[in-house]
Amino acid sequence: MKIKNLFRSYKAWVARPGGIGISSGVMMMAILLLMGILVPLFGNRSDAFVGDPFSRPSLKYPFGLDQLGRDMFSRVFNAVGVDLGVAFLGVTIPFVIGTIIGILLGLARNRYFLSTVGSIIDGINAFPLLIIAIAAITFLGPGLKSVIIILSLTNWARYARIARTKAVVVAQQNYIEAARTLGYPRWRIIRKHLAPNVSAETIAYALSDFILVITVVAGLSFLGLAARPPAAEWGSMIADGRIFLGQAWWLVIFPGLALCWAAISLSFIVEGLFRRDRGV
Amino acid sequence: MSVEPLVVIDELKIDVRLTRANRLPIVDTATFSIDRGEIIGLIGESGSGKTMLCRALVGTLGRRGAYIAGGKLTFDGIDLVAAKGPAWADIRGKRIGYVPQSALAGPNPVMTIGAQLEESILQDKEFSRGNVKARAIELLNIVQIRRPEVVMHQYQHELSGGMKQRVMIACAIAQQPELIVADEPTTGLDVTVQAEIMRLLLDIRSEFKTSIILVSHDLPLVNQICDEIVVMHAGSTVEKISSRDITSANHPYTRALYDSRIDLVEPKGELTTINGQPPTVGNWPVGCRFSERCDFVEDRCRHPQVLPIIPIGANGFSTCLRYNELEK
Amino acid sequence: MNIIEAKDVSVTFESFGHEIKAVDHVDFFLPEGQTVGIVGESGSGKSTFARVLSGLQLPTNGSVTYLGNPIQVGKQTYPGKLRKDVQMVFQDPYGSLNPRMKIVKAIAEAIRQHQDLDKKSAIEAGVRLLESMGISGDDAYKYPRSLSGGQRQRASVARALSAQPRLLIADEPTSAIDQSAQSQLLGLFNNLIKDGLSIVLVSHDLSVIRYLSDYVYVMKDGVFVESGKTEEIFNNPKEEYTKKLIASIPGRKL
Repeated sequence: MKIKNLFRSYKAWVARPGGIGISSGVMMMAILLLMGILVPLFGNRSDAFVGDPFSRPSLKYPFGLDQLGRDMFSRVFNAVGVDLGVAFLGVTIPFVIGTIIGILLGLARNRYFLSTVGSIIDGINAFPLLIIAIAAITFLGPGLKSVIIILSLTNWARYARIARTKAVVVAQQNYIEAARTLGYPRWRIIRKHLAPNVSAETIAYALSDFILVITVVAGLSFLGLAARPPAAEWGSMIADGRIFLGQAWWLVIFPGLALCWAAISLSFIVEGLFRRDRGV
Repeated sequence: MSVEPLVVIDELKIDVRLTRANRLPIVDTATFSIDRGEIIGLIGESGSGKTMLCRALVGTLGRRGAYIAGGKLTFDGIDLVAAKGPAWADIRGKRIGYVPQSALAGPNPVMTIGAQLEESILQDKEFSRGNVKARAIELLNIVQIRRPEVVMHQYQHELSGGMKQRVMIACAIAQQPELIVADEPTTGLDVTVQAEIMRLLLDIRSEFKTSIILVSHDLPLVNQICDEIVVMHAGSTVEKISSRDITSANHPYTRALYDSRIDLVEPKGELTTINGQPPTVGNWPVGCRFSERCDFVEDRCRHPQVLPIIPIGANGFSTCLRYNELEK
Repeated sequence: MNIIEAKDVSVTFESFGHEIKAVDHVDFFLPEGQTVGIVGESGSGKSTFARVLSGLQLPTNGSVTYLGNPIQVGKQTYPGKLRKDVQMVFQDPYGSLNPRMKIVKAIAEAIRQHQDLDKKSAIEAGVRLLESMGISGDDAYKYPRSLSGGQRQRASVARALSAQPRLLIADEPTSAIDQSAQSQLLGLFNNLIKDGLSIVLVSHDLSVIRYLSDYVYVMKDGVFVESGKTEEIFNNPKEEYTKKLIASIPGRKL
């Protein structure tokens, strides 16, 4: 009985605008995540040498073996945790920092605070993320940890700009004024009324940022600046396998497909949410 | 000799395409005509379909995924239902002008007022370029904008709401259209500005014999300005009546609209409201769609049926089965 | 006794080096239990003045007193227990409610601010209050976006009433909602007036002002050009501007 009702409400939810996008995207991502959990648990180790290098894809090794004889299938899916995990941190940390700073900026009156922090934000935002990341890695040295640190130190600025603009707008809304006339303490107004409405906007940005950061991480690894061998990571796998593309296409295609799969599933979700919000 | 009406709308149906299989009727049986030089008020609550009807008259239904699903719509004998792009290009902006709601964007923010007027004037491909500026100033004078030479070079954000609407009217009348479709042109404007713009529309009608269809939810306004009033409810036209006779309307909905006017009630007196809400698109009841809100409803009103259009008087009609039982 | 008074109030804004006098040395009073209308067109300063009365805007000059005492203490207005006495209802039904809160929760929050109730009782009280405003139990648990403009306005009024105010300042409460919702809201205000609520009603809609107000102030360019009993203003306007305003009402001479 309950299941039937659940199913019916799910169907109704999907029928609304964007529903197809969101549910397909979520399903695609779920499959990827599931594989990302199961394969490392039950499959071959990603760094084990299990056979002849450059073996073609077969029933035993569906994605073939790479240039060192490692199982591509397990490497591709072991990389899920790395690529998505690093990207997740590279989005969540800036999101939190940026939203908080943005709200503070939106509410602040102190001219010095506003101009200094504002300038820092504008300065950082003037540069594309990838460029800053490459430049900063020359100081911090390569590695996935560096990437997370850099993103945390710089990507927050994009969130802060969004949060600040939205905070200014929200602060002028009537429901905030009503909260004041009702005598709510200032802190509660910020926490319960202002912040949730501001973060609605930054969360939306975070979702599309996630896609960007995944590709930035993979891109940096491709350039040898993030993940180092023997780590299983899509970007570095593509970089390593690039020279062998003619003879052993499976070294590049499968990590590439996984990267595309992740990005496409997220794009479906973001587009679906966007359509739902627009009502079309 | 009877003169043919300028616009004839007969059992017009407008649907909106939701998905490939799903369509939603927005207007279902709209019938009325507009004579030359006549000012018609189109009144109804939100969801009545009056805006979609306007779009049909201006040929911009397609942009909203809507289309005419049946019925007849003619302008000066031209079939607008079948009309395609090129046919519309000769009509829209030239023979039928459009004045949008004042609350919407209005003049193009990145063009000067002069540039926009010129664009409207040059819709007439044969208009000599040398005279464009003079014509633009002439139009600004017609719409009673002071210092038109200055306004020509201004941008939209430098004008007040009333001035912006006057500019929109100027663009609409540039080609001396035979019909102006004005969709809530003064909603949101100050009442003194509204009075001036309405006077302007009356002057335009007197001077150029333009027909005007004025869409509004403001019954007192429509009553004041319009010769005839067409009342819409839940996608259909339920009555057409001369504004003189509005106090003895022939449809319970019109009566209810009239009775719920705030300006006619005693201060702090008993306010009449119309029961319930207008049925939302897609949730129309069978039979008479006003039946669930009507004080005069009988069983037969609820039977699934196509309500007859009962002619009353010279130009009016009503779709109420009990129209002759309403007190005069 | 006058529930609220304003003496020589001015509000001046600075914008790009210009000074804009939104409110220019106005005096105002409202006897308790009465309804006063402030009518004016856009740019008249009436909304700014309303916000001064409710304490949301500090005047650059002059003072407002509530029940004889100044409302401003330092940079704060309506300190302590006074705050709940004066509440406000705004024009825009869409911006008046927190879009991320179910309306019953918003009402319950307001109730708990002024009464010592636990969460559950506050919600129950909220549902009852909303029902008295014509918002059904089911609708109470919805988010603002699922309600009509008229319902949102009534929810805003409910929230204002949760504080059990003595004075309600309504800034264009009917301007953004359709005809039938307007009538419902006005009927609601009527009942509140019968229960003894004092109201300052700001509107550009003359029929609304005429319907509810005992006394009317006509505002233009930051000053009150005329004031008087409602009947007098509507039937016998004295100032040019007032005459122009009354003449513009559809149904009067055009």
